[in-house]
Amino acid sequence: MSEATEDDGPRTFSPMKGVELTITQIVLIVAGLAVLFLIPEVHGAFDNIRLSTTHRGLLFGLAAVGLNLLLRHTGLVSFGHIAFFGGGAYGAAVLVEYGGVESSILLVLGGTVVATTIAIIVGYLVAGHVDIYFALLTLAFNQVLYAIVLGSEFFNYSDGLSLRSGGTGRPTLLGTEFGATEYNLLLYYITIIVVVVSLIVMYRIISSPFGRALDAVGQDRTRAKFIGIPVRRYVWGAFVISGFYGGLAGSIFSLLELRVLPDSTMYVFLSGELLFMAILGGFQTLVGPLVGGVVLTYFLDNARFATEYFNLLTGVVLLLIVFVLPNGVVGSAPDIAAGVRHRLTNPAQLGKDASTLGSLVVNNIRDAIETTRILLFGVK
Amino acid sequence: MIETPLVIESFARHTLNGLFQGSVLFMIATGLTIIFGVLGVLNLAHGEFYALGAFLMFSVAGYLVGFVGEPTDPVSIALFAIVTFVAVLVSALIMLPVTAIIETIFIRPIYERDEVYQLLLTYSLLLILVDVMKFGWGTLPQRLERTYGGINQIPTTELVGLSYPSYNIMTILIGLLVFGSLVWFFDRTKTGRIVRATAINREAATAMGVSSDRVFTLVFALGGFFAGFAGAVHSASALSAQLEMGLSPLILSFVVIVIGGLGSIKGSFVGAILVGVIASWATVVYPPAELAAPFALMVLILLVKPEGLFGTWGEIE
Repeated sequence: MSEATEDDGPRTFSPMKGVELTITQIVLIVAGLAVLFLIPEVHGAFDNIRLSTTHRGLLFGLAAVGLNLLLRHTGLVSFGHIAFFGGGAYGAAVLVEYGGVESSILLVLGGTVVATTIAIIVGYLVAGHVDIYFALLTLAFNQVLYAIVLGSEFFNYSDGLSLRSGGTGRPTLLGTEFGATEYNLLLYYITIIVVVVSLIVMYRIISSPFGRALDAVGQDRTRAKFIGIPVRRYVWGAFVISGFYGGLAGSIFSLLELRVLPDSTMYVFLSGELLFMAILGGFQTLVGPLVGGVVLTYFLDNARFATEYFNLLTGVVLLLIVFVLPNGVVGSAPDIAAGVRHRLTNPAQLGKDASTLGSLVVNNIRDAIETTRILLFGVK
Repeated sequence: MIETPLVIESFARHTLNGLFQGSVLFMIATGLTIIFGVLGVLNLAHGEFYALGAFLMFSVAGYLVGFVGEPTDPVSIALFAIVTFVAVLVSALIMLPVTAIIETIFIRPIYERDEVYQLLLTYSLLLILVDVMKFGWGTLPQRLERTYGGINQIPTTELVGLSYPSYNIMTILIGLLVFGSLVWFFDRTKTGRIVRATAINREAATAMGVSSDRVFTLVFALGGFFAGFAGAVHSASALSAQLEMGLSPLILSFVVIVIGGLGSIKGSFVGAILVGVIASWATVVYPPAELAAPFALMVLILLVKPEGLFGTWGEIE
């Protein structure tokens, strides 16, 4: 918890009630927003900066921000959160396919309602469970929804649904139909606004008594129950809010892709990726998951082109995150800076690092072989 | 009068199919459940151990079966079956050192960490193993041509007038054997009791002179062994080994251990058989329900008995 509002630490500003920021934070926020707004301007000039990748990264990041409400505050690991993302996407697609709705706002609204409804039902069933049970159950529900979508004609099996009504038209933005470039650009700016508003709302939620109560639940359920917090109901509420975020992100995602596929919006692996994003960016921070979302989406997009073995690459990066950067990019930024500075002034440290790592690996392997030998042939 | 035997035969066939799938599922889920019961880690890479076992079987059996001729007379059929069984055993045995090394290097450092890191770590192992298999065996499905047909020449169900693959019958028997030997191992042997003691109270077991690290490695390798065993059994049947095969058994294993109760071997056996048979029956009634039926069962069990049928919460029984 690094809000730094308890003591008279750095000078803080309060742009609105309940939000307090230090100068560094304000500078970083402004810089971040500026970068996001400038990406459409520069994405033609550089091959590596792509508007669509950033856009998808932001949307997955938004879903990860929702997931993080559970992960950071209640300490629950949801391994099936992409189901709400997919619920939002499919909700919007069904409205186009069977309802002929063209207005984006209605589609996003519809998709979010569908996802929130799913979250209410699933949340009711899982809210009483903790730890691995919770992860298992959310994962299983994810798989149920995936199986339903994949196996039913209504959702067009693995071919998914299209958001182009009549085969060509795009959903209308602000009541107007745009061409491809304008559509994507406008949608991107709308996404930024949605993301910023969502982050502010999330900030308000976690600073509210409700958010503090969730922290208490995360620290010790029994204690929280004893001091009068209705644990199950609050966890259910948090689950629904986080499902709402997933659905919002998913329905905008469907507007961006214009085609909803089970494998790109519902697949269990993607739930793992959402968790990965939250951890990568730093799940003890508010914006960490968003940063993680953009970074991981860029990484995955490039890895897929760079090598046939991108799963291996992703796995190794994840392994490094778990062992080396457990607080994520945003969370461990100060540590990284200090470490780099230390190594710049003191190059001999690099050699020490290498030998530490080497002996660690060697020792582990020797230990493994020894244990295996004992298991197979006995102690003597 | 003609109709009734057909219905009965179809019913028996589907039940046997369900028992076959349930037996394979049991061997996967039981490893997952004892690893969870003792180590407290939910191993997401478990499905990939199963897939690795299947690929290993493809190579090992492809090599070994080459030594025996076409099974024609009873003696050569018996020899063929023995060689296949040896191949299954060898593939599973290879999994022992592989999983033991994985445990010591990757899993051991994270026992004290938050679950989310444990899940992410095993998830990263899952991703890495998928590509290791892609590197080793390529992206195409690999299928053993001869074993299934060879073993099916042994008559079993034909004796009672039903034509059903003998290989599947043997797998069901092997599943029962695995269940029996696991129960015996944890109930009757000294090592099994040590494992249970460690699961119940790690510190007290350490004080008694048990190396809990070694117990953990043993349990993890045991789980890997049975997952590999199940994979090898799968691979020797008419099905091919492929890269994506790990995920769906993993998820079904979750369902099984939730139904049976985390950490319970008896529970995973009953759960696996239930899931296998119900999914198989569902294909008759309404084919798309095959995927959803196990989950419906799970939700039902959770609402009625949240701790599972034989829930023991971390103690092996």
